[in-house]
Amino acid sequence: MDQWNDELEQLFGQYKRAVPDPDASANFMPELWRKIEARQSLVVRVRRLTQVFVAAAAAICLVFAIFLATPNTDSQNINGTYVDVLAEAHPAENLTPLGIRTDTE
Amino acid sequence: MLVEFDLIQRAQAGDGAAFNQVVLAYRKRILGTIARLIGRPEDVEDVGQEVFLRLYYSLDQLRTPEVFEPWLYRLTVNASYDYLRKQRRRNEARMSDLTEQQVMMADASAGGKVSTEQERRKNVKELVEALLGAIPEQDRILLTLKEVEGLSLKELEKIYSVNENALKVRLFRARQRVLNAYQAVQKSGKQPVGSA
Repeated sequence: MDQWNDELEQLFGQYKRAVPDPDASANFMPELWRKIEARQSLVVRVRRLTQVFVAAAAAICLVFAIFLATPNTDSQNINGTYVDVLAEAHPAENLTPLGIRTDTE
Repeated sequence: MLVEFDLIQRAQAGDGAAFNQVVLAYRKRILGTIARLIGRPEDVEDVGQEVFLRLYYSLDQLRTPEVFEPWLYRLTVNASYDYLRKQRRRNEARMSDLTEQQVMMADASAGGKVSTEQERRKNVKELVEALLGAIPEQDRILLTLKEVEGLSLKELEKIYSVNENALKVRLFRARQRVLNAYQAVQKSGKQPVGSA
């Protein structure tokens, strides 16, 4: 087993020598900076888009808040119970043609 | 450390020239590690640029100088792992997928100029890559860092942020599997490596 282990150890050493540290091409640094700048502009664009989205969401919230806070002037004041309102909406004389008779008749 | 912490601090502050110096100091070493981790010379620069790109955008998170190198190695490991994962998805073999070394060997063969040393190196490279191919990518990277790059357990502990015992177990299992594969190859009658 030790023999195999030693051979494997040796093999790893030979592998490191067989694949030495490569020299970078002349294009390495310019290409790296091009990638950095490309990502930077992407980040800026995403940030700007996020700001626009947040501002739009805030504006919509504000509009809704104003809409909900404003009292509805068209709504009538409701006095009485549900039955009173119902009776008022359907006068007794309108119910007779429908075959509905009320106690007052 | 190959650079002073002061240089890293200047790079953190946005000094492009300082960042260039940091890259130049570590570039060769990192490219070498990547070459041995991914085994494809034609993609080494791309992965190397990805490592330094990630370094550029995460440099402001670095607080202490002691962690700079383990951190750079962690970025290297992550970028190499991402690359290997993407590579696994590409199944079709194309002419453009031939490694530079294979192309060089093919050219040399055509001209009848293959030297014995080149042949031996090619055999070693192919054998080790085949052996490492028998284990999962994460273990392959870990084993390469330990056995080929010569990183200590302490350094690996900092890179992986896991305790030494867990690393030892993973390394032992990975090495055992590679050893078994190596024994199988040797017993199958192939020539011992390095004897050519």
